[in-house]
Parts: sequence; C-alpha cells; structure tokens
Amino acid sequence: MVFFYKSSERHTLEGKLVTHLDRIVSRVILLAKLPGNKRRGEVEKELRAHLDDLAEEARSQGYDDEATARIVRMRFGEPEEVAAAFASVYATERLANRIFQASILVTVSTVAVVVVTGIVQSIAAIFTATSVISTLRGLHYELAGFCAIVAGYCSLYAGERLFPTSLARALLPSVSLGLGLAAVLGWLIPQHAALPLAAFACAASGRLLQRIEIRLIWLAGTALPLLIAWTLFGPLIAGWQFPWLVWLGLTISCKALREIVRLFERVFVEDFS
Amino acid sequence: MRGVPFDRELLKGSIALLILKLLSERDMYGYEIIQESVRRSQDAFEFKEGTLYPALHQLHKRGYLHSEWRTGENGKQRKYYGLTVAGRKAARRSEQEWFSFTKVVNAILSKANS
Repeated sequence: MVFFYKSSERHTLEGKLVTHLDRIVSRVILLAKLPGNKRRGEVEKELRAHLDDLAEEARSQGYDDEATARIVRMRFGEPEEVAAAFASVYATERLANRIFQASILVTVSTVAVVVVTGIVQSIAAIFTATSVISTLRGLHYELAGFCAIVAGYCSLYAGERLFPTSLARALLPSVSLGLGLAAVLGWLIPQHAALPLAAFACAASGRLLQRIEIRLIWLAGTALPLLIAWTLFGPLIAGWQFPWLVWLGLTISCKALREIVRLFERVFVEDFS
Repeated sequence: MRGVPFDRELLKGSIALLILKLLSERDMYGYEIIQESVRRSQDAFEFKEGTLYPALHQLHKRGYLHSEWRTGENGKQRKYYGLTVAGRKAARRSEQEWFSFTKVVNAILSKANS
C-alpha cells in the first residue's frame, strides 16, 4: 500500500475521519431500510465499532486521516453493497412491518371516516328533521362508500410512498384499484356502484390536490369527480341535485385522513426514512 | 500470499461455514472474526468486511448464533457472537458437507489434470 501517505503523528479519531465513518454507517442504515428502531440502532453501533477498529488499525500503522479513510472504505466495502445484503436478510420482517403498518392506517382511517360521515349525516338528519334510521337501512351500501373513501385516499398515499419521484407512477395503485373496484362493484351491486366509485375518485383526487401548496385547493379535489358525475348524469335523472351532503362528508373525511396520514408518518417516521 | 483474488460467489458461499467454524471455538465480535480468518489464511483470505455483518445477522436469524454486547478492557462495547446448540450442529454439518464437496471436486479435477 505504498500509495498511502504515512504520518508519524498519533491522533485520536476526530474531525473529518469521524465524519467519514459516520457517513458510511448512515448510508448503510439509510439504504438497508432495516425494520425497527432498536435493530437500526444495534446495526449502527455494531458497524461503527467495526469502522473504529479498522481506523485505529490503520492509524496505528502510521497512516494519516486521509489514507485511513481510504483504507477503511476499501476494506469495509461499498455501503450500497452492505446495505443491499442487510436489506435481503431482513426483507421478510420489513414486508411484515409494512403490512402491519398499512393495516393500522387502513383501520384507523376507516373508523375515522365512519365517525366523520356519521356525524355529518346525523347533523343533517337533525336539521332536515329526517330519520337517521332511514340511512341505516342501506348500511351496507354506506359501508361500501366508507371503504371506497379510505381505499381512494390510501391507495394514492401508497402510490406516493412507493414512487415518490414520479406522479404518473404514484397514480398507478389508485388507478388499478379504482378499475378493480369498478369491476367488482359493477358486478356485485350494479345499481348502487356509482356512489362508492364517486367517493373513491373524490378521495383520491382530494389527496392528489392536497399535495399542492395552495390553501383549500384540495376542496376542489373532492368536488370535481362529483361535479363531473352530476354534469354527465344529472340531466338524465329527474330532480337529481348536486349531492352537497355527500361532498361535505367526503371533504371532512379527507381532512381527517390527511391528519391521520401525518400522524402515521410521525409515528413510523424512521421506517419511512 | 496476500490478496489472492477469490471469486466473490465462492467467498459468499463459504462465509457462513467460516463464521460457524470460528465461533465454534470461542465467542467473537465481527472485527475479531475478520482478523482471525486473515491470520489463519496467512493474509490470503480477503473480502469486503462490511458484508460479514449481514451474514452474521442471517445466521443469528436462523437461530445458529446468540449475541450480546460486552465491554472490552479498553472500555469499548462490542457485539459478541457465539454458537447456539443448533449452530453447533449446523457447523458440524456444514463442515462435513464442505469436505465431501471439496473431495468430489478434487477427485474430478485430479482426474481431469492427469
């Protein structure tokens, strides 16, 4: 190793060298996407101890900081390669973690949508002096609508997480799920498929417009699909008015879902780094 | 005998056996495992040291290794690995497999060379 400059000085590990070692460890941890904070911390500590030993060995042989950093890098290997190997070891756990986290998000979101829409409907029933019981008769259709809202919103969010750099790709899960849902609902409940599908589209487009940094523009996201449906089919159905109540329920639901997603990211922030 | 460029895949396939064999003698931490393999191979055995850790974690996941953090004389904390009962069995099995395999390969090679 004649190309390394040997220094007669003896230092403790500090400054640039420490930063270099930290960078190697951080890169491995970032790319390996290890499941769980505890495991990440352990791997970080373990790799760091190894790099410290490597650096100390090089320093004890008289190499300066720059040469030591190169030796460490050469002997340790590329962080990308190490990270890929770690990722493959913990692939199953990572997948299980993601499924668990997604289940939590979907469950909490569904409960929130049921509560929000339930409250909106109850208030509307009180103000219009109609019976809430009449709504309960079509509860399974209502549930289909709630699930469609969650599916529309969460599928777009999943797309954003899977493909953070491409909007076109981020839309893929929503579009695929929407088409699948249309096929299933059209087959199972053809007479009642329109509203859940509209709810799905509204929630997805609401989420889409929530990405734009203009206040309240996302309100148009929840309105637009309903407006299109109303423009297309409204004239064909006698007395059909724009469903303001549905829009209100959808909009408040999207707002609640946005907060849930934010909370979700805060709780599982490490897993999304 | 330093720096013989072994095939990466060959190294990858044998790293688990080397870990199990070394740990069957005593508990060690990662850096120590590397030092020991380099020493025993008289500097011939070289591989990217970072890749040792995923291999250790894989064996740990399979239940072949146990691990614990210990503080050394210099006050440094290191994660020591040791063999479990299943790990000892796996070490014996892997060693036998290796010897059978190399015996067969050697037989073929010596026939081919004669």
